[in-house]
Amino acid sequence: MDALIAKADSIQPLNKKRRSTKNAAHSGPSKPKKASSSDQTLNSVAKHTSIPKSLQDTRALPEDVLNYKHIANKKLRTHLHRQSAHSARAQELLEDADMLLMDNAGGMEVESEMDRTWRVGQSSIVESSGQEAAKGRKEYKLDGGPYRSRYTRNGRHLAIAGRTGHVATFDWQTGTMHAELQLQETCRDITFLQDHSFFAVAQKKYAFIYDRDGVELHCLKGHIEPTRLEFLPYHWLLASVGNPGYLKYQDTSTGQLLVEHRTKFGACNVMTQNLHNAVIHLGHQNGCVTLWTPNLPHPAVQLLAHMGPVVSVAVDPSEGGRYMATAGRDGAVKVWDCRNWKGAVREWTVRGGGDPEVDWSARGYLSVASGGTVNVYNPPSIHTPFNARTSPPLYLTHPIPHRPLTSVRFAPFQDILTIGHSAGLSSIIVPGSGEPNFDSREADPFENKKARSEREVKGLLDKIQPDLITLDPEMVGNLAPPSKMTTTTFDGKPAVEVPYARLPRIERLRVSGKIDETEENPEDVGDGDEETKKHIKEEREKRKMRGKGKSLKRYLRKQRKNVIDPAAIAIRTKLEKQKEEKKRAIDAAAKGGEKQKPSALDRFKRSK
Amino acid sequence: MVKISVLQHNPAEHLAMRPGDPTPTSRNLNPLMHPFARARERTRALNAAKMDRMFAKPFIASLEGHIDAVEVLCRRPGSLTGIASGSWDGGILMHNLSSRKEILKIPQAHKGKVSGLCFSPDGGERLLSCGVDRNVKLWAVDGEGITPLNVFPGKAAFNSIDHHRTDSLFATASNTVQIWDETKSAPITNLTFPTSTETITSVRFNMSESSVLASIGSDRTFTLYDIRTGKAERRVVMQMQSNALSWSPTFPTTVLLASEDHNLYTFDIRHLDTPTQIYKAHVAAVMSCDWSPTGQEFVSGGWDRTVRIWQEGVGRHPEVYHTKRMQRVTSSIFSGDARFVMSGSDDGNVRIWKAKASEKLGVITARERAAMEYRQSLKDRWRIDGEVDRVARTRHLPKSVHQTAKLKTTMLEAQRVKDERRRKHSRAGESKPKAERKKLVITEQT
Repeated sequence: MDALIAKADSIQPLNKKRRSTKNAAHSGPSKPKKASSSDQTLNSVAKHTSIPKSLQDTRALPEDVLNYKHIANKKLRTHLHRQSAHSARAQELLEDADMLLMDNAGGMEVESEMDRTWRVGQSSIVESSGQEAAKGRKEYKLDGGPYRSRYTRNGRHLAIAGRTGHVATFDWQTGTMHAELQLQETCRDITFLQDHSFFAVAQKKYAFIYDRDGVELHCLKGHIEPTRLEFLPYHWLLASVGNPGYLKYQDTSTGQLLVEHRTKFGACNVMTQNLHNAVIHLGHQNGCVTLWTPNLPHPAVQLLAHMGPVVSVAVDPSEGGRYMATAGRDGAVKVWDCRNWKGAVREWTVRGGGDPEVDWSARGYLSVASGGTVNVYNPPSIHTPFNARTSPPLYLTHPIPHRPLTSVRFAPFQDILTIGHSAGLSSIIVPGSGEPNFDSREADPFENKKARSEREVKGLLDKIQPDLITLDPEMVGNLAPPSKMTTTTFDGKPAVEVPYARLPRIERLRVSGKIDETEENPEDVGDGDEETKKHIKEEREKRKMRGKGKSLKRYLRKQRKNVIDPAAIAIRTKLEKQKEEKKRAIDAAAKGGEKQKPSALDRFKRSK
Repeated sequence: MVKISVLQHNPAEHLAMRPGDPTPTSRNLNPLMHPFARARERTRALNAAKMDRMFAKPFIASLEGHIDAVEVLCRRPGSLTGIASGSWDGGILMHNLSSRKEILKIPQAHKGKVSGLCFSPDGGERLLSCGVDRNVKLWAVDGEGITPLNVFPGKAAFNSIDHHRTDSLFATASNTVQIWDETKSAPITNLTFPTSTETITSVRFNMSESSVLASIGSDRTFTLYDIRTGKAERRVVMQMQSNALSWSPTFPTTVLLASEDHNLYTFDIRHLDTPTQIYKAHVAAVMSCDWSPTGQEFVSGGWDRTVRIWQEGVGRHPEVYHTKRMQRVTSSIFSGDARFVMSGSDDGNVRIWKAKASEKLGVITARERAAMEYRQSLKDRWRIDGEVDRVARTRHLPKSVHQTAKLKTTMLEAQRVKDERRRKHSRAGESKPKAERKKLVITEQT
């Protein structure tokens, strides 16, 4: 038997300090030593009970590993320790991964103090850029009214829609046309769905979905007179807003019209999405900007941004959706911090009339198209707070003679800005605006047919449920707020978590806020001296009515007990106030009495 | 002068140069490039949990051949496919698990039920069986098996038998524990605890220290013996009787008891005053238990017609197997490679189950394995999420088991509330709540 116990005692990981020696040192001679290190069985077994050296992680842990010494539960503590060590190691490896990024971002740098980047025109940029990059500078001369454009998520394909019904999708790099349609009716917006194989067009009466070849697949009759379309790629939702002022979400994987929100702001023709939390931003005619999620029937945020109609809204993708830019018909462009809505971070007025259009690039470059020019501003100065209403230093400017300029879009993973105007579209090169390193698991400009279909299937499998859309995208997987179902113990001990169902009724009422706390127990009040107790008792006797203890009355009283009736509460407070006043009057009278002259009748007063 | 550089991607770096080349991929681990990473991972975890449940088809086969209920199962040492089963009709069968055929059939091995079976350790050449007909019989496995090699007559009906790990000794349980030598016809030692007068229901040798022997008896005791000293060393009296016991194959001092009170207990024999873990899920008496050879999990079969597979140290939410036709499970064992579980039940069948319900049998490619491992780690990581946990945990149970479990919860809850109220209305500190683990052992005797 002893041999057996010795065997069991010896089974401990090699690298761990043996506790038996430590214990012996602490407990003194009263406790016998459990296992000595000279035990043969111990040594023989220990070799087989640890991971081989080759598999052990020998590197030292980083300094900032969380400490869980305070946790009493041994199993949980080890688990947490292991988890935090693992994540710390992963974090270290992640820092190395930055070195593997291949491409460098573009940009313009001034060499002397008098140089300005905005003085550089497109022709000199094209001259100094490489052959492949120079392809980005293009002019599409089209008739068919002012154009709107949209890129796919990988930046390879471009969809354009002219006001009078000319719709086309094409691969702008190779110049292959996928579809070209003359719809013969007003087209207000166009968007690709998950990739270039489907696109949706907001037409005169309804929204329509076409496939890559331009075959009409669906007529979405739920979306009436849509003006703007947005596709939320990770949720597979097509959002539209239109002249009736309804924001509608359609699930494109199941075809279900998920929800429609009545905005109550009338016709709306400004919409954008925040890529990082899938919240829809709407701009309204009365100068309001509202933020919407599918699971809230009212806006999550409502903001009075401009004194006139809002004409354009954009969200900064480079800072995790922290900044929003709005432009109004009053000619003002404002940059807002989405964490703190108290006033704009920066605002300025644009010249030239017309409705300004704004868009952010993936690296945080803001383009503003107004009048006959497109101005681009570069990041740190856009959202540094500045009191004067002047524009941030200009990065690049480009005049376009074809008014109005109706849309500006940066191409993902390229240094290209596409502007839609009345005579077609023009693409200009904005050095530094595009994210240089793409992740081929998210969006790959060079993907082939098989990769595209694979991505579609994976995307469908990873589709996020629409009710997970919130302002804070990190909500998923965070700890829940502490539950209400706790009771506090009164004698200074820490609160014990008791499930709601196990609480006594009175506690349950208290937790759910239904308890009627106005009804005080008279016994509790009178814990003073003997006389007050007696007084209270007398008063209770006096107030006692006949027949109060009848069973029906008792039953009714019990029924009344926990009902919160506003009228009753009002009466009760009123009575309380009267009582208070009366008491104050009596006190005042008593004090006044003291000040009076001593009377001959005082001798008859009851002594205290 | 202004220095201008414009981003351009080199197609040569991102496209396969020759047909058949793998497409180059590029990664950017910047979190801004991966919006909704957490939400998408949660979706994947949820899908993984659902797929796990969809592919959970644990039942493999049923081995027939017994006329009456299967009482005992035992695994042939050194073989992955051989198991033997003994039945209430007195028959013994040996099965081959891979071909699902009978290797050996002894129809009338004993009169009355076969209560114990074990193989000899040297590759399982010989099979020992004991029965209520007060005989222990020794059979040759590869013989025709109509006549036993040897018969050891005893004085009382035997309940259990176990062979010594190395020597040619075996122990039987009747009203005492007896140690026999295979070559001698009478027991060499009788082992009893001095004050014990009850029936011993099961006896097992320790795997590591092969002279240590443990037994359980109908007087609610668990007793430890050493055959070298020939004495009972220690005894523990518990609240309820145990039905089966099993020594852990990896941790020498750990023993598992299947108790009549619907629970299983692991004890560390260094500290016999409390169990190290209580395993609660059965809704009727647990009739049998067996460790997996890895020592990480074990199987138990219960009177509630279910087989459950537990993780060592996790006292709740075991994997649960049941079928419409399976009756009270009287015996259950793990296979030698820890991938399968066998259960013998009152309906006379021996059933083969997978130890992991959704495991894919057959060849698994490296990609498939990687995907499965990824799914498993996703599930582990997102266990904290209520939805994922619910999908992973929920098991369909037969209506009777479900109702009984509900009733049991109600009754235990009522008892708990009553105790609490009683405590509240008695003098403070008079009766303290007792930990569940401390309730089990009544006394420890040496």
